[in-house]
Amino acid sequence: MPETILVVDDDPDILELLKMNLEPEGYTVRTASDGDGAVKSACTEPPDLILLDVMMPHKNGLQVIEELKNIDETKSIPVILVTARGQADDKVLGLETGADDYITKPFDLREVTARVEAVLGRTRPIKYINPLKRAMGIGFSEEGLQQLAGHLEAAAAIQKKLLPDQAPSFDEFDIANLLQSSTSVSGDFYDYIPLNETQVGIVLGDVKGNGIPAALLMVMIRTALRLLCHDEDTPAAILKRINDLVARDTEADLFATMIYGILDTHDYTFTYANGGHCYPFHYNSRNGIDVLKTGGMLIGAFEEATFTYGTCHFAPGDIIVFYTDGITETEAAQDTTSEVSTHWEQDTSTLFYGGDRLAGCLAENTELSASALCEAILNDLAEFSGSTQTHDDRALIVIKREI
Amino acid sequence: MNFEITIAQENISILHIVGKILGNASDAFRKAMESQLQTGHDKLVVDLTQVPLIDSSALGAIVTTLKGYQRSGGKLVLLKPQKAVQEVLEVTQLATVIEIYDTEEAARDAFR
Repeated sequence: MPETILVVDDDPDILELLKMNLEPEGYTVRTASDGDGAVKSACTEPPDLILLDVMMPHKNGLQVIEELKNIDETKSIPVILVTARGQADDKVLGLETGADDYITKPFDLREVTARVEAVLGRTRPIKYINPLKRAMGIGFSEEGLQQLAGHLEAAAAIQKKLLPDQAPSFDEFDIANLLQSSTSVSGDFYDYIPLNETQVGIVLGDVKGNGIPAALLMVMIRTALRLLCHDEDTPAAILKRINDLVARDTEADLFATMIYGILDTHDYTFTYANGGHCYPFHYNSRNGIDVLKTGGMLIGAFEEATFTYGTCHFAPGDIIVFYTDGITETEAAQDTTSEVSTHWEQDTSTLFYGGDRLAGCLAENTELSASALCEAILNDLAEFSGSTQTHDDRALIVIKREI
Repeated sequence: MNFEITIAQENISILHIVGKILGNASDAFRKAMESQLQTGHDKLVVDLTQVPLIDSSALGAIVTTLKGYQRSGGKLVLLKPQKAVQEVLEVTQLATVIEIYDTEEAARDAFR
């Protein structure tokens, strides 16, 4: 979109001259011929920059700046003052009042465009914040919220398309997943990537933080994984490459935990690497429940992170459960915690759903199909927390080898 | 969550946290850690003795602040995390990049 410049001068010839000079540079030019007109125009639709004559009848340029600085919508619009030669006081006063630069009449048209471009170059980054501020309004206006909600809805729709609807199906394996988002966009994600006829890449991850930044990082990781998974031999090498990519390209605040593994339906193995994610559970009919403890650093925080991989074998009836911490950090129903929650030495196992209860739920439901097991865990969470709502995203993948 | 900052000898700041660090509390937690760096105190002991639990936001605050201290040539160490917190530090392997001590004396010695 072209940037808009509001040119204010009581001399119609100057207005015309500046308009003719700035429009070929790609700017949209609006004009006002006095101070009141300038304030009105700026408030109705804030321009990206104002070129403002100081000497005008009724309301002069300095008064215009003062007015604009007192209005939320206009206070951050950059202003270049146009002063007559020799009025040094005006320049000082103008800059003190909040002008960003000044031009002296009679001006060289090349100087005008150069100064306009310089000021816009400085203020452009700020400009992107203003629409958001306007959208939010003072105390979150209803219109602003609707607008934001619209953006979130669009982001959620894009993200939803990236998550596969259905788990892949193999003759001897039963795979199911579950995702519950606390907000319209999710930080938790999963994906299945067919590698060849017998192998499928499976990922479950959790981008820390919420909302749009988390969702953007999730999309970045998911895309990188899809592109890289055919390049590298081991899940550990893939996590290393994703880690380095994220660590290089994002801020420290953004990082993810994830497990990526390759299910081989021919060899009945699952080879995985873990980037700082909750340890998965492996149920075996003879040995009971085991924790898959091959670990690694969380993804994207440190470039020096290294990863290793582990392999586990699927016997008939074996189940592997991956989950995100939104499940184990689900808080207990209020009444069971209120008595003890003021003391720091409380037993945390009663406060949160936790890995032990999740393992217990798995142990009791090993006969169920993968999707029924997901449901059983969800029901147990609802019973524990007294609610079907969630404060954090929750994701779950269950892989079961048929008996 | 409540916290208190004391300055031990040799300009080492000790941040004593009391209570769980969950949800929005991680903002205050992060600001408390960063405040020391911003005021030129680049040696920080985060005392987790009385913190029964942290969530992923608190973990994020630790990661971000740790990197800030490393960038500016300072140092941040943890003091005696409880079992649940220690587990989180191990699963994420943050325990391999951040120094963790069992006593305040040992933590202070880390800056010598």
